[in-house]
Amino acid sequence: MENPFAEEPKATSAWLWQVFTGVGLVILLGLHFMANHFIAKGGLRDFADVVAYLRNPIVLVLELLFLVFVTTHALLGVRAVLLDFGFSESIEKRLSRALTVVGVLTIGYGLWLTWNIIR
Amino acid sequence: MATLNYPKIRRAGRWFDVRRRRLGMWAYTLNRITGIGLVVYLYLHLGVLSLLARGQSSWDSFVSLARSPFYLGLDVVLLAGILIHGLNGLRIALTGFDVGVRAQKALFGILMLAAAVALIAAALKIFGD
Amino acid sequence: MISMKMLEIPLQIFRYREGEPPHYDIFTVQVADTAHVIDAMDAVWATRDRSFTFRRACHHSSCGSCSLRINGVEKLPCITRVMDVWDGHAPVRLDPLRNFPVVSDLVVDVSAFFQRMSAAGMTITRSAEPSLPLSVDDLAATGVLSRPVEVPESLSRFNRFENCIECAICMSACPTMATDEKFLGPAGLAAIYRARQKADNPSDVAHLLGLADGEHGVWRCHSAFECTAACPQAVDPAGKIMALRRELIARRFKVAARAAAVVPRTRNYSAPAGPTKHGGNGA
Repeated sequence: MENPFAEEPKATSAWLWQVFTGVGLVILLGLHFMANHFIAKGGLRDFADVVAYLRNPIVLVLELLFLVFVTTHALLGVRAVLLDFGFSESIEKRLSRALTVVGVLTIGYGLWLTWNIIR
Repeated sequence: MATLNYPKIRRAGRWFDVRRRRLGMWAYTLNRITGIGLVVYLYLHLGVLSLLARGQSSWDSFVSLARSPFYLGLDVVLLAGILIHGLNGLRIALTGFDVGVRAQKALFGILMLAAAVALIAAALKIFGD
Repeated sequence: MISMKMLEIPLQIFRYREGEPPHYDIFTVQVADTAHVIDAMDAVWATRDRSFTFRRACHHSSCGSCSLRINGVEKLPCITRVMDVWDGHAPVRLDPLRNFPVVSDLVVDVSAFFQRMSAAGMTITRSAEPSLPLSVDDLAATGVLSRPVEVPESLSRFNRFENCIECAICMSACPTMATDEKFLGPAGLAAIYRARQKADNPSDVAHLLGLADGEHGVWRCHSAFECTAACPQAVDPAGKIMALRRELIARRFKVAARAAAVVPRTRNYSAPAGPTKHGGNGA
């Protein structure tokens, strides 16, 4: 009888990306939080403040990078929780693909919204 | 041989049951709960940000709502989730690379203490302003 | 003279028979206050219910047969004293291990566990008796003779001093084992680590690291560390999993570095990655 544990499955990188984005978020989220809630007077930016803030090119790059990192980390986390439901391999693949689509749409939405604000 | 096998859905929820479990399992469950909470918050936040696309009056009226004590209280809860998940996440990253594995319990204690201190400082600032 | 107090211990035992829903039976038995939980279980079988089904053998945490959950926590009843788990009134609850199908009462089907150990190459297969070399020098090395001798390198291939007694307690304690049926688990991955330490040719190393690097290998661990906490033999499976991760990362970055130097990119496990942690099996 074949030993089902003896076949080498293909290697996986999801956890490594999770750690990479997680560590990145400690920095990016820290910056985002401080810039928006501790530097901004009163802790919140009104509309004019938001526009001025996002029109700064460095801020724009960092905020978009933050969006990519947080979306990736969040959806990889959702995937980890879902994988612990013990679905079949084909369902797991479909879930991973669906989450990738959600991620792309989320980042796309963020880009559209940012463009909307700063133009 | 008819063996007893609990259905997978029931087994899938087992990570939630921390009764009689030790510190490492508590940390794992806490990270998962804060993680799920933060994902929910992320999409709520992104949804709320769409008010920015509706112009100045929509956004500014939301901002005045967000200054209410109830909202500020929610912000403290959010911050607690972020600090717990982030700092415990660093512990998971370190131990996952085989750094500090033997000290994982102490590491958890130290990081959660740091989270508590940061949270109190932040709460004072949030409600103080 | 040692005075022995007799105790009336209530045990709440998980019962299961094919075709019937599981339930708990409560039995009260009389054992000495120095007794272990396995003694109380023996007393239940001998004096209360001959159909009570459980595994036991050595009574000294060497065989790994008797593992179960006492008051919800994975333990070996043969080395757990009754007085350490009984609060004086509530029954001591006995449940089978988690994450394995229950055959009957406290007996679970551990065949999938042994398949994992076999996949790691950790079963002893004796093609000829005896399995240990029996020269005088070799006996001296095992400590049977009193003169101090250094253990020759060749002997370490034949002596199996690994701490793991294959009790599967870590597999029961592990949250990932609950739903991923293909997960190698703490015992399987610790066995792979041990086998990798012993492996002396590159293709064996490559195969073992390939098993560890897959979707059901080291990366499925969620760092709950329950396995290390529960292990009665200080195998430290979580530590072994993290050590494997460290080696896999080191190899990946070497591969990535070589890819950056415009070399065909293949995951090559046979290239040495540098020193790995040797010596000791835990603690």
